[in-house]
This record gives sequence, structure tokens and C-alpha cells, in this order.
Amino acid sequence: MKVLENKIVDERLYYKRLKSGLDIYFMPKTGYVKKHAVFATNYGSNDNRFIPIGEDRAVTVPEGIAHFLEHKLFEEPDINIFDKFSKLGAYVNAYTNFNQTAYLFSSTDHFYESLELLVKFVQNPYFTDENVEKEKGIIGQEIKMYQDNPNWRVFFNCLNGMYFEHPIKNDIAGTIESINHINKEILYKAYNTFYNPSNMVLFVVGDLSFDKIVERVNKVENKNFKREANKIEGIYPDEPKEIKEKYIEEKLATSIPLFAIGFKDINLGTKAKEQIKKDLTTNILLDILFGNSSKFYNKLYEKGLIDNSFGSYFTGRADYGHSLIVGQSVSPKEVYEEVIKYIKDIKKNKLSEENFNRIKSKNIGGFLMGLNSIEFISNYFIDNYFNDFLFIDFLEILDSISLYDVETRLENHLLEENIVLSIVNPL
Amino acid sequence: MVLKPERININKGISLNLIKMDKFKSNLLSLYLIIPLNREEVTKNALLPLVLKRGTKELNTNLKIQRKLEELYGSELNVDVNKTGEKQVIRFTIEGPKGRYVNDEKYMTQIIDLLKSLVYNPYLEKDAFGFQYVKQEKENLKRLIEARINDKRSYAIGRCIEEMYINEKFSIYPLGYIEDLDSIDNKILYEHYNKILDRVPIEIFYVGEYDNELTNYLIDSFRIEREDVLKLERESITSNVQTKNMIHEDMDINQGKLVLGYRTGIPYDSSLYNGLLVGSDILGGGPNSKLFRNVREAESLAYYIGSKVYKYKSLMIIDGGIDSHNLEKTIEIIRFEIDNMKKGIFTQEDIDVSKKSIKASMESIKDSIFLISEFFFSRELSKDGRTLEEALNDIERVTKEDIIESSNKINLDTIYFLRNLR
Repeated sequence: MKVLENKIVDERLYYKRLKSGLDIYFMPKTGYVKKHAVFATNYGSNDNRFIPIGEDRAVTVPEGIAHFLEHKLFEEPDINIFDKFSKLGAYVNAYTNFNQTAYLFSSTDHFYESLELLVKFVQNPYFTDENVEKEKGIIGQEIKMYQDNPNWRVFFNCLNGMYFEHPIKNDIAGTIESINHINKEILYKAYNTFYNPSNMVLFVVGDLSFDKIVERVNKVENKNFKREANKIEGIYPDEPKEIKEKYIEEKLATSIPLFAIGFKDINLGTKAKEQIKKDLTTNILLDILFGNSSKFYNKLYEKGLIDNSFGSYFTGRADYGHSLIVGQSVSPKEVYEEVIKYIKDIKKNKLSEENFNRIKSKNIGGFLMGLNSIEFISNYFIDNYFNDFLFIDFLEILDSISLYDVETRLENHLLEENIVLSIVNPL
Repeated sequence: MVLKPERININKGISLNLIKMDKFKSNLLSLYLIIPLNREEVTKNALLPLVLKRGTKELNTNLKIQRKLEELYGSELNVDVNKTGEKQVIRFTIEGPKGRYVNDEKYMTQIIDLLKSLVYNPYLEKDAFGFQYVKQEKENLKRLIEARINDKRSYAIGRCIEEMYINEKFSIYPLGYIEDLDSIDNKILYEHYNKILDRVPIEIFYVGEYDNELTNYLIDSFRIEREDVLKLERESITSNVQTKNMIHEDMDINQGKLVLGYRTGIPYDSSLYNGLLVGSDILGGGPNSKLFRNVREAESLAYYIGSKVYKYKSLMIIDGGIDSHNLEKTIEIIRFEIDNMKKGIFTQEDIDVSKKSIKASMESIKDSIFLISEFFFSRELSKDGRTLEEALNDIERVTKEDIIESSNKINLDTIYFLRNLR
């Protein structure tokens, strides 16, 4: 067992690797009523091409399979998993994003029994032809729900403008057409590859005992998984540095045009701390330039070109990355023009030290306040963990960022040739 | 841990509620203006927070306010207007990290100053709000009202409520109406605001670390001279069907939205209300509920389906996302499940599961600094003196008979369907 401590934020992180290769992390939260566990695999919608465990040739699977698996793991031969958790007073849920699939529950009582149940159900898949067919109707409705969401559409259209090949451009749940090709054999293949304990992590947060957590997981975990020596990874296609399309437009039932302006990142290949630092540096840059304390934001707001839905962020991994500026506007093209002009101007001048320091100070508070929330901690841990970074050291990374880093990022990332404009217009 | 606020009356209708909390890394300050919901004033009230957050006497632009917040270690300002029963509630909240984590023990007074200025010392031009600010925010409010249709699920629920309570104040849309905007200018709005500040109840909540000095600072900061405060009326409720509607609306979307509105007639302070809460949870509270199991899991008709009780007006809403051609089938299952609730066709286990779920979510309030202030605010609104622990016990005491009795009081009033044309 190892204990990692961060005195500045006054938090500790306990760690142990089980014989199976499964890593367990625990963050004590004294005085909290809620207890929370998340069992996650480093497997998301981006991983639709991979070498199945025990085989030597890569396969491509239908879009939406990671998410489909997430739904189907709740199925067991004789019991209903939702029932079981409900009877323990626990609330169980799951999510799939581009890079991870996570199963989680919160409870105020009977935590350890619920923890056993979580590990057991995720480690014991039960897929039949019938239960796979049944799920297609439910997921079909989920896909339709997202198709009606203009924010979701403007976002994915922008990704489709940026990327030629990378699966990031595909909807996480797939399409009604792609999920039709899913069957239990493909599900087992993906499951056996990516749900190997060495590719997963269990994270627990709450007012609990780490010894007990380890003991309970040890007792119930499925020990039949083969230890995998190699790192399990999806295979990503070679993605050109250029963007695919400069402009994409769609019409939907919405009151006002929505836009997403995307900058495709070309500085890829960074990992772990370096990746986190790049991520944070870019987000500080965007906040200085476009945040609601920026002159740019306030100018456009006063002109009536944007409202407080306007925002910007960077996200990425070793194999992809992009900054997005999003919002709604009566005239998205004008916003787009303003953004381009502004970036040109700002590159001629220097960023101010004062703005930089203020945004840094804002990030300190944001992180500290995030630590109030068990859900924030859980999401943030998982997301960073699979990026080989333990999130409690966030403030150290923040501290290491200089104004020079931010200016360099401005030069290298916000490039005019890599901009995509996606607009959703009212019908 | 029993949570109990320390309640101090500052002056006429202004109360300060202090809740000591050690476990969070931040402190939170919220101020609520509680205004009776009415058609004549709703739009002006909705406009107020938008204009107020544009500038104070000292910090006369949004840019200055935002920069100040960033300097205060990224403290977050949040402004909101909401319908709670037949009240329109305007809320201002600032949350900031505790001084010890940022080596600045005394800065909380600056948070108090800022919130005070936002509400009491707005930016003015010759005894009126800023002309440009009002003009711009009228446009923003117009867009916000139009944006109702963007979230199809909440749009459908809102429309069902609107039709169902067509002859009651509860139907009023809390962001107001576009046709009112023309008649509002910076003078009229400021005059209106002065009336609001003079007359409406103000509740202030502080959650976190404090001492006597800070308490006194809060009291001094928020004391204003004012007239006698308005008495808030209790919502009238009935279980009798008033409108009996079946409303269809078409939209060019992929998934239809079905909403059923039921009148329960059970007031929130009746002991039967707890039976209604448990009953609604058994019916459609979560993945274990009757509706989830039968509409989603057994028939694959929907991705989401559930029921919810609206406290102050004592209604229950069931809503789900479905395809148009499954409308009748879905309604049939819902009717069947409601009938079963009325007949008592559910088990002791169903009851226990729902009680646990309701209690767990009530207890979880203690883990969120924001929900703690919201919880005690709602206690004040409903004049409910129970502690959280007492409320938990009341849920525990619900019997099967209570659930059957409360289920038999609910009456279907309005079915609303937003039909998908795609």
C-alpha cells in the first residue's frame, strides 16, 4: 500500500495493486455522508479498432460498441442489477465517453456490499441474442434524443469538420444503423480485451476504510482473467494535420443559431504530465483570450453578438486535440470573423502578466471548490488517471506554467489554417 | 451531525441564516428575493438579475466584476430566476475558497461587499438603471424566452404545466413574455426594483466558516431601511381535474416527448404528502421503478421515463421520450401502472427500496454546500420547522396504506404530446 499526500489541498490518496493487476485508489472524505465508487476501463468510443486479446490481427468494430457494452453489462442471468443496488439503497449509473467507460454508484449505507456488487457485475458479462436485440430499441431512443439536441449536433459537426479518420468524429452511441450490426460475439470480443483488470481502475471516495475496501474487492473479483503483459490499446488511424472542412451547417428546431469554432491541434504525442500541462496551458490561454473577464468577450457581449452561453475549452489526448469556442449568436459568422481578427492582433502584442496571474488564481479556486464534490473528484480522477496523472497534484502543474508557455501555445496552436466553423441554424 | 441554521432577523423581512460547515473547502453566500408570481410583473422581475449583474456602483462593468471575482481566487457568482410554486425567486450566490487554502484569511468580507453591491448598490444613471444595460439585457431576455424550445424535454414539461394551469398563476412562465418587453425601460425597471427592495421578503444564507465578527459584518451589510414586508400567499391546490386536456404539438424532431400532468390535492404539510413521495418513487423514481421496468426494460419504448412530484402546487408529472407511433401503447402502460398503485399492487420491498432511495438523496444534501442553502431556503418558504433528521423519520414512517390512499387522490388532468415529425 502507498499513501500519496498533498498538504496544500489537504487530501490523501491511498493506492494498492491487487494480484490480478487491478489498481485500487481511495480518497478519504471525513464527514461526508455519501460514499462513491467507480470502476472504469480505459476504453471508450474512440477504441473501435483493436487487436482482440489472444489474437494477432486488428479488427474494426461497429461504432457505438463501447456504449452498447456499458448498457449490456447491467444484464445478469437471474437478477436485475438495478434491483440489487436499489435494495441496498445505492444509486448505480454508468457513462461512456471518447476514452473511458465507467460504472459507478453512490450510497449512504451498505457501501461494502454495494462495492462487491459493482465489481461482480462489471466482471461477469451476460450477453444473449435476445437481450442484445432488446437493447437496440432503447439505445435507438437515446440516439434520437441526442439528435434533437442542437448543442450536441453543433459539437459533432465541428469534430467532423476537423477530422478525416480519427474516431473522435463519431457519435459515442454510434448510429441507429451501426448499432444494428452489433451482436453478442462482437460484444464479448471487446469485453474480453478491454475489461482485463490490468486495463481498469477502481476508485473509491468517502468516509471509509481502505483496508476493508481492498479486502472486499479481493474477495469478489474475478480471478479468471489472464494477466496481460502488454498494454491494451486501441489502434488509431493516421490523421492528417489538416482539417477536413472549413464550414459545416445544419438546420434544426432551435430558436437561435448555435456555433462551434474548432482549432485542430497539431502538437500531438504528449503524454502524462506533459499532456496535462499542455491541456491546462491551453485552457489558461483560452480563458485569457475569450473568458468572461476578457475585453473580447465583453466587447462582443455589448454588441449583442454573444451571450453568456459563450465559452471556450481545450481537450485532447496523445492522438488528438482541439480547442472549441462555442455559443449562440444571431450572427455566428460575424463572431467567427471577430475571432480570426482578434487572434491575428493578439499575436502581434504580448499577453499581459496581470491577466495571466488572475486566470491562474481563478484556477486555484476552481480546483479547491471542485474538491468539495465527490462526483467531481470521481470524474476528474478517472479522466486524469488514464492519462497517467494523479489529479491531487493539479496545483503543482498549475504552478509550473509560465506566461512564456502560454504565449508559445498561442503561436503554435491557434492557427488560421486549422479553424473549422460549425453552425446549427433554426429551421 | 444535525444541521440547524442560526437564524437572525436583520430587520423587516430580511433574515440571515448561518450554517456552520467545516468539511467544505469553500464558503457560500446566497441571497434570495421572494416575489409573488404575477402576470403583470413577471417579465420585469426576470429582467432584474440580468441587469443587476452588469455592474455595481463601484464596479460598473461586467469586466470589472469578473476580474474582481478572479482576483478573489476564482470565486463564482451565480444569478438565477426561478418559479417555486406561485413565487418567483431571484437568487444571487457567490462561493469562494476558504481563506486558509489561499493564505488570505480575511477576504470573505470582500465577497460580502460584492454581493451587497450587486443587490443594493447597482450601477445607476440619473436615478435609473444603465440605459445600455437595460437595452441589451432586454434583448438577451427575449432570446432566453425564445430559447425555451431548445431543450425539448423541459419545453414539453413546461408546456404541459402551462396548459394544465391555464387559469391559475402557476401557468406563468418564470422568464416572462416577449410582448411585455417594449413597455420596459431603464427608469421603469429601476422604479419597479425599488418597490421590490422595499416590500419583498429577503432570505440570506451563509454556509461555511464564520465568527462573531463576520456575523456582525453580514448583519450590517444587509440591513436596509424599508417598508412593511409583503405577506406571501399560500398556493391554492385541488385534486379536481380543471382542464382535462389532450394537447398535441408538432415539431420537426426525432423523438416525441410525452408528458402527463396529475393533480394530487395533497398539501406538502399533510402527513399524506410523504406517502405521495414514496408512491411516486415506486411508480417512476428510478431504474427500479414500475415505469422504468415496464416502459423501458420490458418494451424498449423509451430511453427515459419517470415521475416527479412538484411540491408547492402538489402536482405529479410523468414524462418520457418516445416515438409517435408508440403513444397509445405507452399511455396504456402508464395507466395500468397507476391503477396498480391505486389498488395496492406493489410489495413491501418496493416500499423499502423507495424509502431508501428518497432518504439517501435527502441525506446527500449534507455533502453539497449549495444544496444545504437551497434546502434551508425551501424550509423557510414552506414554513417547515423540521430538521433534516425529522424529515427522514417521516419518510420512514410511511405505510402501505398511506401510499394507496395518496395514489387514490391523484387525477390525470392533462396529456401533452410533442409529436416528432422526423
